[in-house]
Amino acid sequence: MPSVLIHDAGPQTTVQDLGRRGSLRVGIPPSGPMDREAFLLANRLVGNADDAAGLECTLIGPRIEFADERWVAVTGADMPVTLNGAAMPRWAAFEVEAGEVLRLGPAASGVRGYLAVSGGIDTPPALGSRATYLRGQLGGLEGRALRKGDCLPLGPASGGAPAEVHEEIIPDYTVEPTVRVVLGPQDDRFTKRGIAALFDAPYEMTSQSDRMGARLRGERIEHTRGHDIISDGVALGGIQVVGDGQPIVLLADRQSTGGYTKIGTVCSFDIGRVAQVKPGQRLRFRRVTVAEAHEFLRAYRRELDDAIPFPSA
Amino acid sequence: MGIYAEPRFLPCGDLALSVELGDDINREVNARVLALEYLIQQKALGGVTETLPSYRSLLVYYDPFTVGWDELTKSLRALCREARPEVLPPARTVEIPCCYGEDLGFELAAAAKKIGLPPDDVARLHASTDYYVYFVGFTPGLPYMTGMPDRLEIPRLDQPRTKTPPGSVAIGGIQCCIYSVESPGGFWVLGRTPLRLYDPSAADPILLRAGDHVRFRMISRAEYDTIAGAVAEGTYTPRMERA
Repeated sequence: MPSVLIHDAGPQTTVQDLGRRGSLRVGIPPSGPMDREAFLLANRLVGNADDAAGLECTLIGPRIEFADERWVAVTGADMPVTLNGAAMPRWAAFEVEAGEVLRLGPAASGVRGYLAVSGGIDTPPALGSRATYLRGQLGGLEGRALRKGDCLPLGPASGGAPAEVHEEIIPDYTVEPTVRVVLGPQDDRFTKRGIAALFDAPYEMTSQSDRMGARLRGERIEHTRGHDIISDGVALGGIQVVGDGQPIVLLADRQSTGGYTKIGTVCSFDIGRVAQVKPGQRLRFRRVTVAEAHEFLRAYRRELDDAIPFPSA
Repeated sequence: MGIYAEPRFLPCGDLALSVELGDDINREVNARVLALEYLIQQKALGGVTETLPSYRSLLVYYDPFTVGWDELTKSLRALCREARPEVLPPARTVEIPCCYGEDLGFELAAAAKKIGLPPDDVARLHASTDYYVYFVGFTPGLPYMTGMPDRLEIPRLDQPRTKTPPGSVAIGGIQCCIYSVESPGGFWVLGRTPLRLYDPSAADPILLRAGDHVRFRMISRAEYDTIAGAVAEGTYTPRMERA
């Protein structure tokens, strides 16, 4: 069976697809790539459907060997790519032969790198998705991060014409991103000063961040009357503010419900930027209305569709 | 208190909103949340991609390219008017075998002391009533329940545990929960069930659902082991009835 062999997995490499839908209501998060845009472009580069499964690598990439000929593409965090020792481009598809070894080095900038392989990774879906949910031991390969010696099955290669991304849309992860936020659902539980703090000052990413949430540190966000609410659902990007006045942005593997006030929600199209901020780096929040957010979402999808001339196959 | 005259629609970013129907934890408000979710499913409300019920609100994910904010909130407002408990299908009652005390219910003795009753009485009282599942979440399959005899009301632990074994049956305040995966916890662990509330290897990994009723059955340590063995082999079918 066509496959890839993991020689070295890196600190946290997982199988991801666009995530599972419909399980939030029983407490299972969607999972999926932390930086959806980079993931999706990697798939398009090798002629895969957007929801084909690929690898998400954290800080340091894996070393993997191919059993047959494939197109591959690496996007996301700036991890140097080599094939049998020779440097290869990022954000562009290239071909690998049977027996060749691909290596993704440590990220010079950004946190999460993505590897797409033509045909996609063909581990069995769990609840309709191949995305790995680590805490729930669900999906991917036995619900866990990859290890040395793992062998991942691949789907039949589609043979689509591989592509490269227009240079202007390749993100620069060294710059401090500004991510857009819609206020709510509990913005009425914060003082004017607290809301102003969120948008005026930058916040620093801490090392306590993971696929569940980005814990940030900065200006204290002041509540009006305590931080506890009757537990309710937590949306992707929800900015929870706990007792110490510090924000936590909830991400792909978030808990489904929570009892802390949420001052606002980072828009879906900017979540990927949050996911690429390294501990010690900073980001800024910018306030937008729901209507503005929908306009930005429209523009974002257009940009994504323009980014790669679609595979001709 | 209780149900709002009009639902509140609270934005949750560009892809979701929260429909808040009331401002406290009570079964009437919650039943309406579940009824609203049920109606959205039944009518396959256009543009809604996913829903998530909790005590008093329903998180609704939508596709803004299919349905705009105004149109969606208008439809939801209309559905809220129809969302009465009577529209829901009959509830299930699920029997949860539970071994109280022993090495599994490792905080039964301490909780009993705090409550001021012998441990056996606490266990008997705890297993004497039906519980109502408001919603399932936080971790996969964890039910948020009330229905406990008043006598067992107890403040949460001063210091939450960092690890709670899955299956732990625990109480805090007026609530009861069953931990579904190993996780931190602030409730007093009275016992443990050999059933899996979350089983990632099963076709349907989740045992309990919002709106279910739960009845605990006291079992011995030996019966716990027997059932745990059957669960591991996949030969145990949990007892369920419909109201």
